[in-house]
Amino acid sequence: MLQMFISILVISINIKSNKIMKIKSKLKSKNFRKLSLLVFYCTMSAVIMAQTKTVSGVVTSSEDGEKLIGVSILEKGTSTGTVTDVDGKYTLTNKSDISTLIFSMVGMKTKQVAVGNKTVINVIMEPDSKLLDQIVVTGYSKQKKADLTGAVTVVDVDQLKKITSNNPIQALQGRAPGVNITTDGSPSGSGTTVRIRGIGSINSNIDPLYVIDGVATQGGMHEMNPNDIESIQVLKDASAASIYGSKAANGVIIITTKKAKEGQLQVNFGARASASWYDSKIPMLATQEYGQAMWQAKINSGDKNPDGSGYGYNFITGYNTDGTPKLLQVIDPTAVYLDNDPTKSYYHTMKISNTDWFNQITQKALSQSYDLSVLRGTDKGNTMFSMNYTNNDGIIKTTNFERFSARINSDTKLINGKLIIGENLSLNKTGEIQDPGVMDLTFQTLPIIPVHTVDGIGWGGPVAGMNDRQNPVRLLEDNKQNKYDYMRLFGNVFAELELIKNLHLKSSFGIDYSDYFKRSMQLAYSSGYLNNNQNGVNNNQGHSIKWTWSNTLNYQKTIGKNAVDILLGTEMYKQHDESFWAQRLGTGSYVSEDPNYMYLDAGTGTMSLGGGAAENTLLSYFGKANYVYDQKYLASVTVRRDGSSRFGKNNQFGTFPAFSLGWRINQENFMKDLSAISDFKLRVGWGQTGNQEISNVGTRSIYVTDYAGNNPTWDPSTSTAYDITGSTTGSLPSGYRITQRGNDNLKWETSTQTNIGLDFGFFNQKLYGSIDYFIKDTKDCLINPPYLAAIGEGGNHWVNGASIQNKGFEVLVGYRSKIGSDFNYDITGNAGSYINVVTSLPAEVVNNYGGNGTTDNILGHSLGTFYGYVADGLFKTQDEVNNSAEQNGKALGRIRYRDINGDGVINDKDRTWIGNPNPDFTYGLNINMEYKGFNLTLFFQGVGRVDLNDYAVKSFTDFWSVRETGSNKGIRLLNAWTPTNSSSTIPALTSTDSNNESRFSTYYIENGSYCKLKNVELGYNVPQKALKVIHLSRVHLYVSGQNIFTVKSKSFTGIDPERPDFAYPLPITFTSGINVTF
Amino acid sequence: MKKIAYIIVIAVALTSCTDFLDLQPKAILSEAQVAGADNADKFVIAAYASLGNDHYNIPFSLWPYGNVRSGDAYKGGRDEADIQAFYFMETFKNMRTDFGEVDGIWYNIYVGISRANAALRNINTLTEAEYPNMKVRQAEMRFLRGHWYFMLKEMFKYIPYIDETVAVTDYEKISNRALTNDQLWDKIADDFEFAAKYLPAVQPEIGRASRYAAQAYLAKTRLYQAYEQDEQNNVININKDKLNQVVTLCDSVMSSTARLETDFGYNFMPGAYENGNESLFAVQYSHDDGTSKGRLNFGDILATPQGLGCCDFHKPSQNLANAYKTGANGLPMFDTFNDTDLDLTVNTVDPRLNHTIAIPGHPWKYDPTLLYDKSWNRTPDVYGVYASLKENVSPKCDCFIHLDPFFGNTKNRIIIRYADVILFKAEALIELGREYEALSLINQIRTRARRSTGLLKMSNGNYESNFNVSNYIPGTNCVWTQDYARQALRWERRLEFAMEGNRFFDLVRWGIADSYMNAYFTKEKTKRTYLKDGLFTKNRDEYLPIPFNQINFSKGTYKQNYGY
Repeated sequence: MLQMFISILVISINIKSNKIMKIKSKLKSKNFRKLSLLVFYCTMSAVIMAQTKTVSGVVTSSEDGEKLIGVSILEKGTSTGTVTDVDGKYTLTNKSDISTLIFSMVGMKTKQVAVGNKTVINVIMEPDSKLLDQIVVTGYSKQKKADLTGAVTVVDVDQLKKITSNNPIQALQGRAPGVNITTDGSPSGSGTTVRIRGIGSINSNIDPLYVIDGVATQGGMHEMNPNDIESIQVLKDASAASIYGSKAANGVIIITTKKAKEGQLQVNFGARASASWYDSKIPMLATQEYGQAMWQAKINSGDKNPDGSGYGYNFITGYNTDGTPKLLQVIDPTAVYLDNDPTKSYYHTMKISNTDWFNQITQKALSQSYDLSVLRGTDKGNTMFSMNYTNNDGIIKTTNFERFSARINSDTKLINGKLIIGENLSLNKTGEIQDPGVMDLTFQTLPIIPVHTVDGIGWGGPVAGMNDRQNPVRLLEDNKQNKYDYMRLFGNVFAELELIKNLHLKSSFGIDYSDYFKRSMQLAYSSGYLNNNQNGVNNNQGHSIKWTWSNTLNYQKTIGKNAVDILLGTEMYKQHDESFWAQRLGTGSYVSEDPNYMYLDAGTGTMSLGGGAAENTLLSYFGKANYVYDQKYLASVTVRRDGSSRFGKNNQFGTFPAFSLGWRINQENFMKDLSAISDFKLRVGWGQTGNQEISNVGTRSIYVTDYAGNNPTWDPSTSTAYDITGSTTGSLPSGYRITQRGNDNLKWETSTQTNIGLDFGFFNQKLYGSIDYFIKDTKDCLINPPYLAAIGEGGNHWVNGASIQNKGFEVLVGYRSKIGSDFNYDITGNAGSYINVVTSLPAEVVNNYGGNGTTDNILGHSLGTFYGYVADGLFKTQDEVNNSAEQNGKALGRIRYRDINGDGVINDKDRTWIGNPNPDFTYGLNINMEYKGFNLTLFFQGVGRVDLNDYAVKSFTDFWSVRETGSNKGIRLLNAWTPTNSSSTIPALTSTDSNNESRFSTYYIENGSYCKLKNVELGYNVPQKALKVIHLSRVHLYVSGQNIFTVKSKSFTGIDPERPDFAYPLPITFTSGINVTF
Repeated sequence: MKKIAYIIVIAVALTSCTDFLDLQPKAILSEAQVAGADNADKFVIAAYASLGNDHYNIPFSLWPYGNVRSGDAYKGGRDEADIQAFYFMETFKNMRTDFGEVDGIWYNIYVGISRANAALRNINTLTEAEYPNMKVRQAEMRFLRGHWYFMLKEMFKYIPYIDETVAVTDYEKISNRALTNDQLWDKIADDFEFAAKYLPAVQPEIGRASRYAAQAYLAKTRLYQAYEQDEQNNVININKDKLNQVVTLCDSVMSSTARLETDFGYNFMPGAYENGNESLFAVQYSHDDGTSKGRLNFGDILATPQGLGCCDFHKPSQNLANAYKTGANGLPMFDTFNDTDLDLTVNTVDPRLNHTIAIPGHPWKYDPTLLYDKSWNRTPDVYGVYASLKENVSPKCDCFIHLDPFFGNTKNRIIIRYADVILFKAEALIELGREYEALSLINQIRTRARRSTGLLKMSNGNYESNFNVSNYIPGTNCVWTQDYARQALRWERRLEFAMEGNRFFDLVRWGIADSYMNAYFTKEKTKRTYLKDGLFTKNRDEYLPIPFNQINFSKGTYKQNYGY
């Protein structure tokens, strides 16, 4: 029993060693040692008993001879022990018959010393090669990092947590080579996408798989409490990931949550507050400037004496001495009101204004987060309980995200520790008021419109002649109560039984239950000529239950120099979703628009409703064998066979094999003597993974009764109902339509990946890193290609289409050292690069991804490569206009397009490949410094040359008439080409886009490379002496800032190359916080 | 032993669920579930439903294609850049093969065709014993298919013709040039012939196609076919046989109970006026019908003036308004109508002016208490102050539906009406050299126009305008030669069917689109500066380009139209 206790203790320390790596640099700080002392003192004191013999001594480090604080000393075979004090001293009064003491400390190699007759035992401890002994979760099992043969990146979770983000995956940006993360600034952080090793597929879902405590999921990471995370590992290559078979094609991110350790009693509390603001505002035209641009566009288009637009603008055109027109007046100085039409209800309620709409919709946003965790471990089991409350306001007004989460992770040991049962369960309740999509509108709304009418209550809005864009402030205000609530129960219960020695049977039942509810109120409004006197309520709810039952049998055995680890398993997965919505809407449907009143029951308008369900299952069998010979030669074989309900009988199952080999060259005799080399391992892996991310009914021919059709406001109705009797109202007869043609032969998309990697470490892992090279071929991509219009309905058809290849390399290098005795630093850098190529395309889709439709297509190019015209500058002289190729609409100041095929005519044959949206490389650099109680962290993240398609914004910032002429424009176009401003590269303003400059061309392609100081954090640990007085073991204070500055390409015309479009903008954030451990 | 038992239990549990992967899909139907006689009527309904599944930028009313391109209407909206492709079509400048709107209407018409074909495929597997309505329903589906192909044909000329017997995998092998211009007309005519043969004279449900609708549409098809075109869209011959067929078919329709409405305006009014005597086939719209927004006339939704809703598109041109002026003899001012702009204090007009065009100060949709105002216009300095009345309704009507930010209505859209049949026949007779027989037909239309003033009154009981319409009386107010008759017929068609989506196709049929449009631009651009670039390119602009996407998707099986 005692022995078992010790072994469990050791195991728990080993498991924890993963954590050790991340805080290792802190270990060298004296304060941390003091902290460790306290923690260990607390935890160990419980097991100290009265004794008869006294042993004492000092424990020092072999590295620098410093005294080690907080080393735990345990009598072998007992639960008695102590810890070293701030001077590295210990005194242990023990039983006389105890022969051996075990010295252990996080970050140090455990040492056993025989007591004998000694009363003074001084010990020198050696640092652990932590990176190598770290335990890595690799899929249904764990391995020492030294024994890994796949491409696995272990993320430094402590560094990651320095990013103030709800979404732990958002903070992963720049942390792992080969993992590309794009994100937005929404308060939930839900707009984050993750791509591992390039774009793995053409059409289907390309998100990675997340495995949280053994339970797979594909999203909702913003619902997770980041403080619960103990470790994150990214399995990038197939040899590592293929144990997850069908779901692993896009890589796997394994997340393990915190568990208490035996003997631990710890309470942690943390709090932080952040302020964020919008600093990527695109400079827009003000009221006067908009008028100037409009006038110029009309003049340029041949209008000799342009009038205003009928709403405030009242041009007076004069002439310069050379006869060129000039604008003498933009707005009638006596004009006060925008709306001068007495027949309108809003007559003389809106004053001519100069509204900066971006200022109106954004705010300085405050966020706060509080978390509490209690960890308690005994020899009978361990419990971790945590709670978190987060409330984030967004920098767009009224947007907000709120999360309450609770977690309990516990295990209980039974039958002398041979049976462990436990659970990891989290319950999260999130709520969000989302951005109703105002960025685009804010861009377009005219500055002359006031936010409010003169009474300060009514809404400003467009008058005749303007575009029909809604007042974005109104949209936000009317949306402020439309919050969704989402409740999610996620986790697993498990039992692990040691059947015979070294043979473990584990059964885990995972559950992911979610419940979504949203009540949206639509309020009546009047905003200029836009108005709607209808009001109503829309309720939307969805329930989803996913369960995973996995059973594994694991056998581990070491015979001499041979170590074998065999795993066999089965898994069943089922997902069932149900949704339901109901609406009541009508003119005056609700007499009060109070949120307390607006429920479905209380209204009088027309009711409508809908609902649906979806279901799918997976059945899997898998096996894995790891073999290590003499700690030098490593081999691993994996096979997984998956069956999916999504495929027809013909191809229901897919088999995904993998193998990998490793050679720890530094263990060879010829290298063993080179003490500078602490690690040198060559890894080679090959494997296959599958992808089944299609609709649950993707193989079937589908007929539906589509009574209501889709929402017909912005797209054609698809309804099958018709008033055949001419009765005009009432229930209609309805029929069927086909929405998809079946394909019984549809089969799994398969990725085959080869990986070659080298892990290295020098000077006892002071300098360490890895290099990986991979080739990933994806074939039989599941695609639902666009189709010939003549097919009409039922053109949708899933096929196994193209093949694509990604190949690239990844480098990770770390260096840690110290200057003097108090200054420690640690630098970690990583970079990844890949090239994506489409290697084959079935004939039916050969023209679907760009190309001229005949001779030129995407084959051999990267997926998503832009196809368009080459903008060859502007026509600057009449000679240039006259002597260029025939181009409809060409004129002075207009874009000249390149005659690619040289036939003297600019037409669709002159398009070519003009940009690659895949970045040349991405990188991250983390610098961590510690001096006494202080620590400073700088984190840079960036991407190399990448071609951005900036059409969405640039078509508004550089042109008058490429998009809505009635919309506001960016200030750049004030510098547009005119005969007197002939050096401008911005085309002359025109009333109509007669040169077809809306055509997709290099004009819209921008260099999106950037380097950002993503995070800077200054932290301080309050000295132990001060803490002792107030009975705390650790107090950490910090301030940090995010997105502090950006270095971008000089040629980039936008503001933020990371988020150039109308997505939720990324804010600058400053945070201060405190973490306290009792 | 217990442990081993545990393993066995798990193993058995897993292996016994071989049906774990066999799931039934939710809320969808398989091909087998929709087969058979019980479902035949449902496919038929779905095919009819397509008639109402258009959209403001792909309108089956064809307002941009038939009216804006003909000089009867301006595009409207905020300015030229508002649905810019329609502006380019309006001026025929910058015509491109990749307009999304053109690709969109092409696709959505083929959706209609695919629904008709799906219904036919289903019915063809049945026997009359299983499905007593078999022949009638086949005829209805072929009527709809003929309607869709006719729309494609008049817009694109060369189109891939696909019927219900073609397997989907073979679609892309069928070129738009597999059939000649004439053969394509014959295919369309085949469907209407079948429909005319098997459809009853009167359908128990008003929304279904009847025999006379099919005959009228067949007459229209043969009339278009009669004007034979070469590859460059020049009219090279007028086929007398086809014209004779038109006359026969029209005679048959005229033997039915269909009649002209007593008042022209009744054709464009909602409620009890819908599906009247004159309406041979109409799209049936509905509201409060259980769909989310109602089955509205989505295609014409933008034509609502800004003063009532949104977005003031489809504005009658000054040229059109002027065309309603009448001389002292009560006849159109063929040569001088456009010399000065319509002035109701001076000019006498055809009453159809006030049924067709909203003029500031006049009642909106026959409501003297609701005067159409200049302020209802969105950008009067660009598009003038007129609005289109035919597709619009009174805001007081319960058929006027808010579809934020738009306003739609559920007034039926007539696809073919009896007046059309009268003038088809008149046109055929004139081209056959029997212009004297056409005279009474044209006068029948004019007589009805003259009597259609009852709705056109101000609140004080006075008529809206000074109306003066005469019949053509040879020897009294005209000399009825073939040329004169042709001119009268063409004018009459314009006045009668203005803003109903036909005019441009009439001009192309007659082979005069280029001269007519360029003459129009010369004058109209002095009033509407935005038309200054207007230029019709002969031998190209008679038809739209085959959408670029479709040529690509067909991998070059489709050929582009001449001139593009």
